[in-house]
Amino acid sequence: MLEIRNIHKTFGGNQVLKGVNIKVEKGDVVVILGPSGSGKTTLLRCINFLERADEGSLDFDEIHTELKNASRRTVNKIRKKTAFVFQNYNLFQNKTALQNVMEGLTVARKVPREEAEVIAKEALDKVGLADRYGYYPSQLSGGQQQRVGIARAVAVRPEVILFDEPTSALDPELIGEVLCVMKELAREGVTMVVVTHEMSFAHDVANRVVFMEGGVVVEEGTPRQIFQSPREERTSQFLHRINRDYDYSI
Amino acid sequence: MRPFHPLFILEIIPELVTYLPVTLGMVLGTVLFGGMWGFFLALAKVRRRPVTKALAEIYTYVTRCVPSVVMLFVVFYGLPELLLSVGINMNGVDNGFFVIVTFSILYAANISEVFRSAYLAIDKGQREAAVSVGLTEAQAFLRIVLPQSIVVAIPNFTNSLINLMKEGALAYTIGLIDIVGQGNRIIGRYQGSYTLEVYLALAALYWIMTIMIQKFFGAVEKKLSRGKKELTTAA
Repeated sequence: MLEIRNIHKTFGGNQVLKGVNIKVEKGDVVVILGPSGSGKTTLLRCINFLERADEGSLDFDEIHTELKNASRRTVNKIRKKTAFVFQNYNLFQNKTALQNVMEGLTVARKVPREEAEVIAKEALDKVGLADRYGYYPSQLSGGQQQRVGIARAVAVRPEVILFDEPTSALDPELIGEVLCVMKELAREGVTMVVVTHEMSFAHDVANRVVFMEGGVVVEEGTPRQIFQSPREERTSQFLHRINRDYDYSI
Repeated sequence: MRPFHPLFILEIIPELVTYLPVTLGMVLGTVLFGGMWGFFLALAKVRRRPVTKALAEIYTYVTRCVPSVVMLFVVFYGLPELLLSVGINMNGVDNGFFVIVTFSILYAANISEVFRSAYLAIDKGQREAAVSVGLTEAQAFLRIVLPQSIVVAIPNFTNSLINLMKEGALAYTIGLIDIVGQGNRIIGRYQGSYTLEVYLALAALYWIMTIMIQKFFGAVEKKLSRGKKELTTAA
């Protein structure tokens, strides 16, 4: 469904991505792991052109494009097939939870208002915010804001949702509620690419785990392969270290 | 010299008020033209085109260093010369024109900084979120960034407006008859006997106008601050 080949990206003199390939099939839950600065977030942002890659190509269903010189129309087309959940939520501060979710429907997809409202309410109900339609982001907790962010992504029925460290800005108590929502989405068959440090999520929910470091994919495989018998020394080192610090069960 | 005559202040206020449209027209014209010009300057400053950005910054720097009374005379004497060299005769053009040109030149520089900082105050993540759900860049700007930038800009905009109105009092130096100009005519009519009374009347008028501007924009800001956590109104 989605395939990216040989993606390169340099910021200033800093080469962040050095030829990454990634392939996502419908229904996949791909979790990207790796230490900070390994290029995970940049990879994700290049997929929907929040960053412009220097090199590489992208195939998304029938669309084929070079990442570097994709036209404005192609970019918008790909963005309509994807949705993005941000580390710091990035909710529209001047709009209520409901309006946040409706925006992508009414404005970008020209869904009639009433219909959009029904879809948006469904999405908010699903993330457990049925009683928060009229609240502004500033009136919501971090966990609630992130769940609105997820509802906003789900509502536009994208073919893939890209999650960029969705729980990194949350305190441990709130992480659980967000992970539960994501787990539920995975169960429903929503295709997801998730950058996270939540090992239990990677272990329990992913069907593919990609371990990145220094701008390249070090290793990828099923969670069982990666967590129980990693081939690369670096992978086991990373998992060993991080597993002690982070352990939330969902 | 006559003794101080407080009632005279009240007596001349109605006469001064008849020239209020000139003062307000000068302010409105400047906000309109200077505002538009300032918007383009701000655009040039936040976009990453090095040449236009540098030009906009140089313009801001240079004009901000010129006192308004100096600029007023430069434009008043300089602009007709300049236009004459391309064959346009400025004889008989209303002084208000030169006043609006002068203050637009200066106001644009100030207001472009207000616009620029208001734009930068809105986290760029919201723009990213908007395009990530399929909005175009223009839609993201108009629907998400701009409405919030306006709220952020209101207090600084109000200040710039009040400053502009007060600096506008200098317009009489090139012969514009606004409230200050008329005040000077009244002073002349009584051979300077009521100078203090006239200036006190003018001070009162400016005081009332300033309060009205502050109250008005304070209310606008409050109305537009939906979803903002804290409300900090100027008034």
